[in-house]
Amino acid sequence: MKSKTIHLDEDQLIWSVVDENDLAPAVRNHLSSCPVCQERKRHFEQELNNLGNMTKAFSPLPREKPVPVVQIFRNWLRPAFVSGFALVLLIMGIWWSSPFPVSQENRMTQAVGEMEDDSQLVVEIRVVEEYALPDLYMDIAGESYGYFGDEFLEFVVPLEENQIRSTGSARPVRLIHLIS
Amino acid sequence: MADSKYQQVSELVDKARHGNRNSTDQLVMLFHEDIFRMVYYRTRSRMDAEDLTQEIFMQMIKSLPGLKKTSRFKSWLFRIALNRIKDFYRKKSILNFFGTSTEVDESYQEISQNDDDPIDKLMRKEFWEQFRQFTEGLPRWEREVFILRFADHLGIREIAETLKKNESTVKTHLYRALKKFRQTPGLHDLLKGGVP
Repeated sequence: MKSKTIHLDEDQLIWSVVDENDLAPAVRNHLSSCPVCQERKRHFEQELNNLGNMTKAFSPLPREKPVPVVQIFRNWLRPAFVSGFALVLLIMGIWWSSPFPVSQENRMTQAVGEMEDDSQLVVEIRVVEEYALPDLYMDIAGESYGYFGDEFLEFVVPLEENQIRSTGSARPVRLIHLIS
Repeated sequence: MADSKYQQVSELVDKARHGNRNSTDQLVMLFHEDIFRMVYYRTRSRMDAEDLTQEIFMQMIKSLPGLKKTSRFKSWLFRIALNRIKDFYRKKSILNFFGTSTEVDESYQEISQNDDDPIDKLMRKEFWEQFRQFTEGLPRWEREVFILRFADHLGIREIAETLKKNESTVKTHLYRALKKFRQTPGLHDLLKGGVP
């Protein structure tokens, strides 16, 4: 009988709103039979319902209606396709409106120029073949033969026919000449 | 009534998972306003709420084939929404750090269609101010559980699934939040009258 006279305290009232099943059996029994506690609980729940209703009522509505999925994909695909196409057009435009267009005439001029360059290169190669080093470097390299004319060479290395005619024996004469 | 709605949602989810676009559209229509409001309570901006709602549904459509339990669709959707809101605040804090945020005002901005009625406008403003003060005074989980329960109208089980916490933890957070709610006189007085 005593349990009927002791009403739910504040904590129990709150727990009854959170989940009535979590209350102790005795408290639950009291709640089910006590109109005062039921009224307190109902009042508290009403406040919380009002809170929910007011948040809903005082919220704005979305300005845009939800977009159907098909539309969403269309909205994504269409810009992607359009931008892709625009990019291709842009690349083609740049390609064709190049600031240095290559015409048939230009191609001929270019070929002639290349041939001239080639022949100049061949000339340079030939010069280099004959004079591998400039004169200055020839001296340093000890390969300059500027002082030795044909006469000197003939003296050092006489032709065979001249050898026979003058001495009949080439080698000793050359040695004598070199010593003197 | 509620069971038939759950059944209907489960069927739609099942069809949508298998690529039925009509069912996906219906799901979007069904939850669009709930999600918009849910985001609005947390961002306090209609524009941000609209943008985030679109993103949330895009994410939903993308991730729907991976949803295993169709019965948990609502809590799964709310979880996506909460994650998106978390990302939103993360980005916002980065922008604030670099001083590039374009935010104007943090209070619940421009509201309903009856903007001409000054009393209505005043009441709305007062309500949102009280709501903001109360919820901001709560620790994070208590605030989240309280809003999910009484503003978003989710059940304890759905909240537990959404937050990936067990039900008793959710109840404890809710109990603490309600205790603080009982001790907050400002919001109480407003709620006594209910919706005008």
